[in-house]
Amino acid sequence: MTHKVDKSKCFYCGGCVSLCPFTALTLVETNVVCDESKCTKCGICVKGCPARAIRVE
Amino acid sequence: MAEHYDAIVIGCGPGGSFFAKTAAKKGMNVVVLEKKKDLGSPVRCGEGIATQWDASYGLPLNEKSIAMKIDAAMAIAPNGTTFKMGGEGAVVERKIFDKFLAIDAARAGAHILPKTLVTDLVRENGKIVGVKAKRFGEEIEFRAPLVVSAEGMENTIARKAGMKVQHTLYDTDVCYEYEMANVPCEPIIELFFGNRISPRGYVWIFPKAKDVANVGIGVGGETGADPKALLDAFIRERPERFKHAEIIEVKGGDISVGASSEQLVQDNFMVIGTAAHMVDPIHGGGMGLAITAGKIAAEVAAEAHERKDYSRDALVRYEKEWHAGEGATMLKRLKLRKTMEGLSDDDLNFIFENVDGKDAGKLMDGDFKPIVARLLIKRPSLLKVVKSLM
Ligand SMILES: Cc1cc2nc3c(=O)[nH]c(=O)nc-3n(C[C@H](O)[C@H](O)[C@H](O)COP(=O)(O)OP(=O)(O)OC[C@H]3O[C@@H](n4cnc5c(N)ncnc54)[C@H](O)[C@@H]3O)c2cc1C
Ligand code: SF4
Ligand code: SF4
Repeated sequence: MTHKVDKSKCFYCGGCVSLCPFTALTLVETNVVCDESKCTKCGICVKGCPARAIRVE
Repeated sequence: MAEHYDAIVIGCGPGGSFFAKTAAKKGMNVVVLEKKKDLGSPVRCGEGIATQWDASYGLPLNEKSIAMKIDAAMAIAPNGTTFKMGGEGAVVERKIFDKFLAIDAARAGAHILPKTLVTDLVRENGKIVGVKAKRFGEEIEFRAPLVVSAEGMENTIARKAGMKVQHTLYDTDVCYEYEMANVPCEPIIELFFGNRISPRGYVWIFPKAKDVANVGIGVGGETGADPKALLDAFIRERPERFKHAEIIEVKGGDISVGASSEQLVQDNFMVIGTAAHMVDPIHGGGMGLAITAGKIAAEVAAEAHERKDYSRDALVRYEKEWHAGEGATMLKRLKLRKTMEGLSDDDLNFIFENVDGKDAGKLMDGDFKPIVARLLIKRPSLLKVVKSLM
């Protein structure tokens, strides 16, 4: 796993989904689902997450 | 097996519901697919909306949706200097507002399907003919000659359709918000500006009762600033206002603050509302613009439906009307936003000391020159920042 969401911080706003240039993310109710085969680890979602909930490594 | 409709709307926010209501009233068989189980929730909104236009739109801004009526907005400079702008508005309860808009669409004959996640488009010979969706463990295909993206910020399907609607950090504000009880409020929307308060954004206090308010912050996406840390600091630094405050809800999200997308239609496809970046670049308001877009787009769609022609040519009047109207206003405000980005807190204090609500109204309308000229006489050093407004 390279894309991790800290669920104690995430408030399911979908901001990361809208910013990901590779449409790697989907918000399904309270879960951010990452298609790891599309994620390039660019870090844009990390910067755009209001809750600072995402880590990409 | 596929279900057949005249139009499929993706997303049951204000834009999607208003499109569906308008199109259904014109006789179209419309379905709205919404992935969430609860409309309007989780709230990603300050919940402020102007209301001068609601009657002409037949908008059901009923008493239950309204938390508090507003009669003015106040902007506050870093040093506390203020000016007030008049204007009717309301702070709504999004969870109720969005639900009523959907009920209204359903009453007009539209079908609303919550808990239905659209996963992809269906194409035949390259042509968009519907969408694939997941609903209660089933994969369902919906077919229609017209698909409308009202997806909000998460505009994945519009991007899959080939529309250029990708959001960028530069044109996005990253927002954190608390709904708080025990915060004394007047029926006024308050906006606090300053680079220290919020880099390239502002803090808002939108009252929902005389002692309840949405207290939120937006920061420029590319600044890397942490909106929660800044909002907490703002509250901590104002003990007189917040000493008894209690957080009763945590909300937030990302919002577009750039220009609306250039291309809004293609063959068999339209994009409306925040999915097409239709959000005011100055204050981040997008409910009203989504509704306006939904109305124009549905009227054009109904004409296309009558002629059974859903080509780009048949739908393009929506795109043209948008860019001649609200789209053009947004461009002026974007210019203003970009200028404001270059101002120091000292410049902001100076400007607030030398403008009033009327001047601010003119600036918002794009009538920059007389006010900028007056400011420059007093402070010529502003020229490098404000010259794009001349
Ligand atoms: C923090 C913050 C504060 C704001 N404050 C204000 C304010 O005070 N006033 C104001 O006017 N605006 C404000 N806005 C903006 C406002 O919330 C939006 O502009 C508005 O909701 C846009 O309406 P819409 O119908 O275009 O999209 P939305 O209301 O976002 O609705 C889109 C819907 O589409 C659904 N969806 C997305 N993808 C799919 C899919 N694949 N399948 C099924 N469903 C899907 C989503 O779940 C969502 O329900 C704020 C935004 C933020 C983030
Ligand atoms: S790191 Fe980049 S590619 Fe990966 S999910 Fe985040 S934004 Fe998308
Ligand atoms: S941007 Fe952050 S808070 Fe919002 S859904 Fe993504 S991970 Fe959660």
